[in-house]
Amino acid sequence: MKLDKKMKEYFKLQYTMTMRKLSDGYHPIVGYLLALLILLVFVGLSMFIFHKTTFAPYTYVFISLYFTSKLSEIRRNDFLKICFGNEEYRKLRILENLIVALPFVIFLIYKQQIYPVFALIALTALIAFLTLKTTYSITIPTPFYKKPFEFTVGFRNSFFMFPIAYGFAIIAVVVDNFNLGMFSLILVFLTILTYYLKPENEYFVWSYSFTPAKFLIEKIKTAFLFSFYLCSPIFILLSIFFENFGIMFLFTLLGYVYLTILVFLKYSAYPNEIGVLHSLILVACFLFPLPMLVVVIPFSAVKSVNNLKEFLK
Amino acid sequence: MISIHNLSKNFGNIQALENINIQFDKGNVYGIVGENGAGKTTLFKCIAGLENYDGQINSEFKPLKNYLGLLLTEPFFFSKITGREYIQLLCNARKKEITKIDDKNIFDLPLNQYASTYSTGMKKKLALLAILLQKNQCFILDEPFNGVDIHSNIIIVDLIHKLKALNKTVIISSHIFSTLSDTCDEIFLLKEGKIVKKVFRENFNALELEMREFTIGNKIEKLELK
Repeated sequence: MKLDKKMKEYFKLQYTMTMRKLSDGYHPIVGYLLALLILLVFVGLSMFIFHKTTFAPYTYVFISLYFTSKLSEIRRNDFLKICFGNEEYRKLRILENLIVALPFVIFLIYKQQIYPVFALIALTALIAFLTLKTTYSITIPTPFYKKPFEFTVGFRNSFFMFPIAYGFAIIAVVVDNFNLGMFSLILVFLTILTYYLKPENEYFVWSYSFTPAKFLIEKIKTAFLFSFYLCSPIFILLSIFFENFGIMFLFTLLGYVYLTILVFLKYSAYPNEIGVLHSLILVACFLFPLPMLVVVIPFSAVKSVNNLKEFLK
Repeated sequence: MISIHNLSKNFGNIQALENINIQFDKGNVYGIVGENGAGKTTLFKCIAGLENYDGQINSEFKPLKNYLGLLLTEPFFFSKITGREYIQLLCNARKKEITKIDDKNIFDLPLNQYASTYSTGMKKKLALLAILLQKNQCFILDEPFNGVDIHSNIIIVDLIHKLKALNKTVIISSHIFSTLSDTCDEIFLLKEGKIVKKVFRENFNALELEMREFTIGNKIEKLELK
């Protein structure tokens, strides 16, 4: 596939934008370090998935396609169509989809999963011919409508993850695999954690007639209650069919702790997005839970309160 | 009542507002006019506490922001939140119980649709409805008529009259002079961050003429349209 000058410029620009996002205003070396860290986390998680479940290749293909499909957003594609000719546009879309899928393809080859590799490449190229709307007129119902917005918006963005997670839990019971059951619980918590990654517009914090502390308590209370709703089907199912109640309880407790940390980290970076430093802290919390949590929770709580004082006078 | 003393605001080297002194009383409607970039939105954000500033803003309501309904020029909406949920969110934020939202949907908005799919005018109406249902004491309406259809325009003018009758403080900015002259008791002319003129109702026509003269001048003739 031959790239003309315009397409080369496009990929160069994408690379620059990605590095800018990663370095987050710091020295470019920070961007490279973070890219390396992301790569290490990717390899670690891939190992974990392949170690924990025999369904890993399919899950892996699905995850890759999920990320690739993000590039099919209609307005983005309309813009690309305006900028490039029809043939160039197709080439470009196939190429950028393949770039996104590349790490997954390499890992599948490493795991000698040849059929999933072919399936992934074919589906990735096929997705380049699709454009997906991000705003639909169909409103996805949510049980969280009374207390918008994190779970209301988050649930609608990730609703498909819950049948998958609950499906894993049912399979775990059928094949008597407790680890798979725990994986489904972790999957739910990881999905919920993504609800707290993006900061809301300042207007929505300003609107609250709460003190910063009360605001944070309310956020955490809502997060706990609604994540309990989403986790309880798995928790109940596993409690009935497995005896490792202690481990389940421990993982659920950890899930709540990480949820609390993420709420604090979000507002300690507010009104900015969670940046490099906060991401590193979060990764460190996953790697070394006990010492990090003891330090990070009070520190980020105080920082959050101070940040929110600007909006919740 | 909101009183502003010696309010100034800088963005780096740019002086956005300079030594503003205004008093907004209860039961009155105030208009702020000025060209784009004159500092209207900055002034509103300072009053709301969304921007830091030098000077003083005092009010009988403490803190003012908890009694203030702020309609932004371009209200922000989450991508997957319905009109109904947006209203619920803003009412929850002010600890206001909200029931029978459909009965209160005076603009006939499709409340079960995602607000981000609304047109500009519908978004404006939804944001306005939400701050009205918050039952605020003071209102800042930045361009409330922007993109709004003629029927809703009439409703909004009537709503402003109703708020005045209920002894609320209302501050509006608009580029449509007739909407201001229909609703306001006083109009302040903001130019390059300074209040250059304060005009009472009886002099609105003179102000409009003056603004037309100043704004248009002989600019259209320069196009040599034939």
